[in-house]
Amino acid sequence: MIMITGGAFQGKADFAKSNFGCKISDGGSCDFKEAFFAECIRDYHLLIKRLLDEGRDAKEFTGRLCSENPGLIVIINEIGCGIVPLEKKERIWREEVGRAGCIIADNSETVIRICCGIPTVIKGGAE
Amino acid sequence: MMTVVTGGSKCGKSSFAESMLDGFDNRKLYIATMRPYGEEALTAIERHRRLRSKKGFETIERYTDIGGLSLPEGCGILLECMGNLCANEMFRDDRITDPFLTITDGIRRLREYASKLIIVTNTVCCDGISYEYGTSEYIRVLSRINTILADMSDNVIECVYGIPVVLKGKLS
Repeated sequence: MIMITGGAFQGKADFAKSNFGCKISDGGSCDFKEAFFAECIRDYHLLIKRLLDEGRDAKEFTGRLCSENPGLIVIINEIGCGIVPLEKKERIWREEVGRAGCIIADNSETVIRICCGIPTVIKGGAE
Repeated sequence: MMTVVTGGSKCGKSSFAESMLDGFDNRKLYIATMRPYGEEALTAIERHRRLRSKKGFETIERYTDIGGLSLPEGCGILLECMGNLCANEMFRDDRITDPFLTITDGIRRLREYASKLIIVTNTVCCDGISYEYGTSEYIRVLSRINTILADMSDNVIECVYGIPVVLKGKLS
């Protein structure tokens, strides 16, 4: 498993396309089942939002995804580096993204953080 | 030795910070700065207590004026977290006060007692949202405090989804 993270609009998906040549599924709109067969999924933080909207357990889903699709490339934004949101729903989403992201990072051989299009390997080795 | 651990929400800062005092052979003090008000705060405090139990920490609850604490020499101190301490100091009365000196002087005092001082703080400056005065002032002051703490520290570690990234010094 490979994880690509960083802030919004930093070139994460472009990096995945050009380095891994993978087909990218959209976590903001794809069927949940698609994640289990995808090569790469982007906006995983939005997939978590959709799971929570349906009352599902994002950590359990993420753990299962890591064990059933271990070759997946996961693109997930960093969303936790701001002020605690006023809305409870937003607070829960932000925390669940943090926890699910830790699960993905723990299961990834390589974690890459992209800032201004520049990748930094923060776990494992570059391929 | 002083270390600052920063990062966003639920990024594994606490467990990493706690692990920095694994095997520390003197008293380990945990300075908890979160006020126990409201259901979510109580849940968070309970969760942290559970994760910290059996790690040998003595907990001291202190919401303001950390410089006023009297602590044993040579202890290990984990302060968690600067984000709460800063808010508690800033918004303690009806008006907003700048807690910069109170907090940085307080940290200097803690550093005199501690042979190992770990401070957990928060990165709060990266959501790109413009807030009203109180909140924007909080972001400014906390960021300024973080900058000074980083300058005083031997190590600065940022946790990114559980991965410790060394910004200064080393992991230890």
